[in-house]
Amino acid sequence: MACFIAAVGIGLVVEAIARAFKLWSYRSPLFLVVNIVAVFGLIQGYGVGWIIGGHGALRGVFPVLFMVGAVLGILIEGLNQYWLHAWSWSDRPLFGISRAIDKSAFVGVAWGFAPLFTVLVARLIVKASMGV
Amino acid sequence: MPRLSMMDRFHAAVLAIGGSGLVCAYWIAFFHSDLTLPKFVHNVTNPDVVRLATVYMGFESAFPLADLLVAVTSALAAFYLVGRDAKAVLFGLVASGALGFLAFIDISFNLLHGLYAPANLLSDSGLQMEAVINVSCVVGATWSIWRLWSHPLRRAEDRASRLRAMETASLDAAGN
Repeated sequence: MACFIAAVGIGLVVEAIARAFKLWSYRSPLFLVVNIVAVFGLIQGYGVGWIIGGHGALRGVFPVLFMVGAVLGILIEGLNQYWLHAWSWSDRPLFGISRAIDKSAFVGVAWGFAPLFTVLVARLIVKASMGV
Repeated sequence: MPRLSMMDRFHAAVLAIGGSGLVCAYWIAFFHSDLTLPKFVHNVTNPDVVRLATVYMGFESAFPLADLLVAVTSALAAFYLVGRDAKAVLFGLVASGALGFLAFIDISFNLLHGLYAPANLLSDSGLQMEAVINVSCVVGATWSIWRLWSHPLRRAEDRASRLRAMETASLDAAGN
């Protein structure tokens, strides 16, 4: 549960930053909710974060967390880029990248940080809730 | 723009499933089960085997960071190949080269430590699986490099290089 909450929190922060800088926009508000709850919360948070790094020592697992998060991220960005079109990129360059396909690839790799930070934040949540 | 042929679709599937999906699955299994481990690592009676098992586990544990490069570049190659973009060749060659390199390191370690000796290989299903993975990696990487090297996208210009060529041409024209 902590992983899900942490991932949803990270998703909210990411979407708020994207909205503030007008990086991408959703075809419908429903896709925004789906992205935060299902993709961030369930897939990257609960699915990847908890299953791989939710229990046991984190040492050694960090590359696997990033690897699985990034591969799923590239898959999600690919599905959106070629078929779903649930969100689209603005004309603003993203770290100097101007083409939509390259932005999708870049953000796909950046998805790798989602489960990584999810696990770290989730552990902080668990520690805080136990009063450690 | 070259069309996506049936072989390109197959190549994208190999890169996405073999180069990315199975690598991820292997490491999830490695950290959460005994499925990927050879039988000899459970042998605690023979001190020589225990020492070899320690070395083996240390060696294997160093691979996830390197495999991260393979999994991510394979996924990017598949992503760009589906989009008929020239970067598919770049990422595909990086992924295939890295995969082949890692496979040869693994094969070299297993051969030098006698793990691929017929007696060990025949009696240990974990080592048999590792041999199959090693051979698949070498064959897959070689096929992928061979195919990408002769791919029409290798000679296709991407937008960035086209823009650079235009800028150079306009600068030359201004200079003249």
